[in-house]
Amino acid sequence: MNILIPHHWLLEHLTTKAKPAELQKYLSLCGPSVERIEEKEGDQVYDIEVTTNRVDSMNVRGIAREAAVILNQFQIKAQLKALALTKPSSPNSSLPLPKIKNDPQLCHRTICVVLKDLQRTPTPDWMAKKLRQVDLQVHESIIDITNYLTHELGHPIHAFDYDQVMALGGEIIITTAKPGKKFTTLDGEQYTTVGGEVVFENPQGEIIDLPMIKGTANTSVNAKTKNLLLWIENLDPAKVRFASMTHAIRTMAAQLGEKRVDPHLAKPVLLKGIELYQQLCQAQIASKIYDDFPGKRQLPPVKITTQQLTEYLGVELPIKKVITILTDLGCEVNIQDLELVVQPPTFRPDLKIPADLIEEIARIYGYHNLSSVVMPTPIPLNKPQKVDFHLEDQLKQFLAHLGWQEVYTYSMVSKELAQQSGYSLTNHLKLANPLTEDRVYLRRSLIPSLTEVISQNPQQEQLAVFELANVYQPRPNKIPQHQLHLTLLANKPYRQVKGDLEALLRQIYLKDFTVEPIKKPAAAYLQAATLTTTKQNKIVKLGQIYRLTDQQTAVDLLMSNLIGIAKKHPSYQSLPKTSQIVEDLTFTLPAKTLVGKVIKAIKNTDSIVNKVSLTTIYQHNYTFRLKYWHPAKNLSKDDVSPVRKKLIKNLAKKFQADLVGEVELKH
Amino acid sequence: MKIKNLKTKIKNLKRQFEQETADRQALNIKYLGKKGLFNQLAKEIKTVPAADRKQAGKLLNQLKQELTAQLRQKQTKTQSSWIDLTIPGKKPKVGHLHPISQAMTEITQIFTEIGFTRVRYPEVDWDWYAFESLNMPPDHPARDEWETFFVDLPDTTKDIAYDPAKPRKRHPDQAGGQLVLTPHTSNGQVREMERLNSQPPIRMINIARCYRRQQDATHTQMFHQFEGLVVDQGINIQHLKGTLDYFAHQFYGPGCQSRLRPFHFRFTEPSFEVDFSCHLCQGTGQIKKGKKSTKCRFCKSGWHEVGGAGMVHPNVLQAGGIDPDKYTGFAFGWGIERTYTLRKGLNIDDIRLLYSADLRFLQQF
Repeated sequence: MNILIPHHWLLEHLTTKAKPAELQKYLSLCGPSVERIEEKEGDQVYDIEVTTNRVDSMNVRGIAREAAVILNQFQIKAQLKALALTKPSSPNSSLPLPKIKNDPQLCHRTICVVLKDLQRTPTPDWMAKKLRQVDLQVHESIIDITNYLTHELGHPIHAFDYDQVMALGGEIIITTAKPGKKFTTLDGEQYTTVGGEVVFENPQGEIIDLPMIKGTANTSVNAKTKNLLLWIENLDPAKVRFASMTHAIRTMAAQLGEKRVDPHLAKPVLLKGIELYQQLCQAQIASKIYDDFPGKRQLPPVKITTQQLTEYLGVELPIKKVITILTDLGCEVNIQDLELVVQPPTFRPDLKIPADLIEEIARIYGYHNLSSVVMPTPIPLNKPQKVDFHLEDQLKQFLAHLGWQEVYTYSMVSKELAQQSGYSLTNHLKLANPLTEDRVYLRRSLIPSLTEVISQNPQQEQLAVFELANVYQPRPNKIPQHQLHLTLLANKPYRQVKGDLEALLRQIYLKDFTVEPIKKPAAAYLQAATLTTTKQNKIVKLGQIYRLTDQQTAVDLLMSNLIGIAKKHPSYQSLPKTSQIVEDLTFTLPAKTLVGKVIKAIKNTDSIVNKVSLTTIYQHNYTFRLKYWHPAKNLSKDDVSPVRKKLIKNLAKKFQADLVGEVELKH
Repeated sequence: MKIKNLKTKIKNLKRQFEQETADRQALNIKYLGKKGLFNQLAKEIKTVPAADRKQAGKLLNQLKQELTAQLRQKQTKTQSSWIDLTIPGKKPKVGHLHPISQAMTEITQIFTEIGFTRVRYPEVDWDWYAFESLNMPPDHPARDEWETFFVDLPDTTKDIAYDPAKPRKRHPDQAGGQLVLTPHTSNGQVREMERLNSQPPIRMINIARCYRRQQDATHTQMFHQFEGLVVDQGINIQHLKGTLDYFAHQFYGPGCQSRLRPFHFRFTEPSFEVDFSCHLCQGTGQIKKGKKSTKCRFCKSGWHEVGGAGMVHPNVLQAGGIDPDKYTGFAFGWGIERTYTLRKGLNIDDIRLLYSADLRFLQQF
């Protein structure tokens, strides 16, 4: 929550010579953050962020109280001025107070007074100027006084039209609403209760106020109002929040009310109110002050030892200093057996545990006064399993070096993209409250997102992109399975992508993997195949490879499985002491022969077939380069010849492969 | 011929070769050709006494190797054609790592240097880890501040009344509560305590995708945070400051200072807002040009707000099974985008670009 505070309004509560820039600097270091200072109508106006736990600072006086404590730490004299309150005179001629029926569970305090014979006067310049400086609207005195007081002192206060309240039955019943009741707020908006809101009702059950949130039209100040019921209630904060959130009425009163504004503040605010109405509207006091206060705050004292404080600060503060800080902040401090027993003031319900007090002492002492040291404690050695950030980096780096561009796309996708994943919509987790239509489902595949990236960058030729991200698989009664995928997608010919994949896997010393075409791939793909390898005789799935179109290929790798098989180094093979024989063999293969299987078959012919690679393809003619090698002896033509014969026979039988031309020995 | 004479002849031949200016081919014929100077000399080995012949052979072999090597060198200078040295090179096509990846790697490295362990925790998690275990009971107003995305599934624990003494503790994987897209990486705090069986020391750095319901020039629905958590005996605010300063120096440069300001989070106490000093104005808010001084346009009064931090709230330690009377800790969690874009000279003014997948942007990195 932010609050605007003009410098001179602050000085009505604070004696100091501090300049605005100093106030900004020191308050921000030790208290609420002064985000900026703006010049408005000849004054410096602070824009201050007050944290939600510090409702006591959401007003001019609260900031003055903080400033008084903080400035003194920086050797700038500052003192909070006493709040001058005049005791109201006894009424001359009295008007009866309405009957008030309270439920102490709902309302912690009710305090009110009747004021009569008000003059309807324009808001005086001094008040109007301040209201404008803090971005509040200026109406006329009778209305503006309540807003002014809330801003200055921090407790919401409401002015009822006294005659209306009396005309509607002269009774205010504080109760929770039944569902389905209609009411109209003072700005003419209509609402219906959902049930459970705290409301004020008259004896007929008509709603006559939405307390601590907004007045209703039937009892608020109107053009004819001349008698007021000046009123403050302090409600159960949870109830205020419930009604305010339910009906989306987020007034300042509601925001203060839901954050446990101090009920003890109600009386000074009412007294100030009486003063202002007397002063600006010549109001006459027409009743005694009614004050029903069942919810007096008894904040429990908090005990703290200096040892606890030292533990958090890493340095021992003199006990005197500690006590001074706490006392300046409004706490009462007693020392009992080495413990400080600290009684927080009623406006600080946020001080509940020792850590809360430590924060107060530390911030006022100044975080900037503490040293900066990296902890000398033991370094944990227990590392997480199943993740390998180094491997992730290594693979990503390598892909980038090969020409692939890394992208980050959203984990939430549109309905259309979700459907392209190959999983039905019901197999996706859906957001209950998406912000935009293109981010509704938690994705199951990165491929649709990457396809979109390619189509969004049409000017890029042969674009190749990749992403490392989770996909989310729903599981009943569990958090979704997070599967980390490394997905590549490119407008490049299949063989190039496959080559990049082979080079990528070579980085983790994986040379052998199997590509097994899927007979009936999903409709989104022209062709698909699974990628597997074996580890200790078990088949490990690496992922899948897809042809999306003639020009588009995708590779989808499962990071978790790569971790299991990735090696940081090879097993060294001693350098060959014998020479190898290299020869090229060309075969004519029937259409749709799986060359991967042909190569495997060639390799499996004999142990002396050490390496096989595909060198050229011409129409249906495939040239393979074979390297024959034996670890113990130099092979002769006579050693190779029977193996070659067997090989040619095998291929003819298995694949109907015809040897083309003569055998050509390289060396 | 005595071996001594052979040595002299070899020496003379070498000297002669060194003086040559002819091109490689001519020299090759002259020296190493069939009737070249080397072969002529080699023939004379016959005249060397038998006892010295072996040594003579060695000397001649050595000479031949030297001449061959030197001829190869001569080639480069004298033989090859002229090329335009200013001609543009042929670049291989290379890709680029996403700037967020680059930042993540750097951040990881900085924290691992001081003993942090990088971890990864769920991005779609129970609200228990995202809120309740972090001292934010169900329906607590603090939850509103996170602009959280919820998964469209019924809350199975909605009817169980909240009891602060008995939070709805559950197995990390099992059902319960609501599934949320984690609005911060802080769900990793209690998960890390659980991973370590509630046994400090803990020095965790958790980097993950996060999600919030907001979108403008400085917010995207998806973003990244890094979360630090340190728990042990005797951890205090000075250690938090030390860690932040270490990071600031490594990431932004040795001149960078960190600053803690009071703030409020439910899961830390005390809580801080962390600022780093502006690299343009060195934390002064003013830029001096000669005698003139103007307001720094890059920062708010000398400092950049980067994110939250604090001492771990005792309730959070308790939720992770750690005794708050025995252990203390600190935590911090910031956006990677924010941290990264504050770097000097980077000039990214709209973080939506990071997730636009616009190659014209990404290829600059």
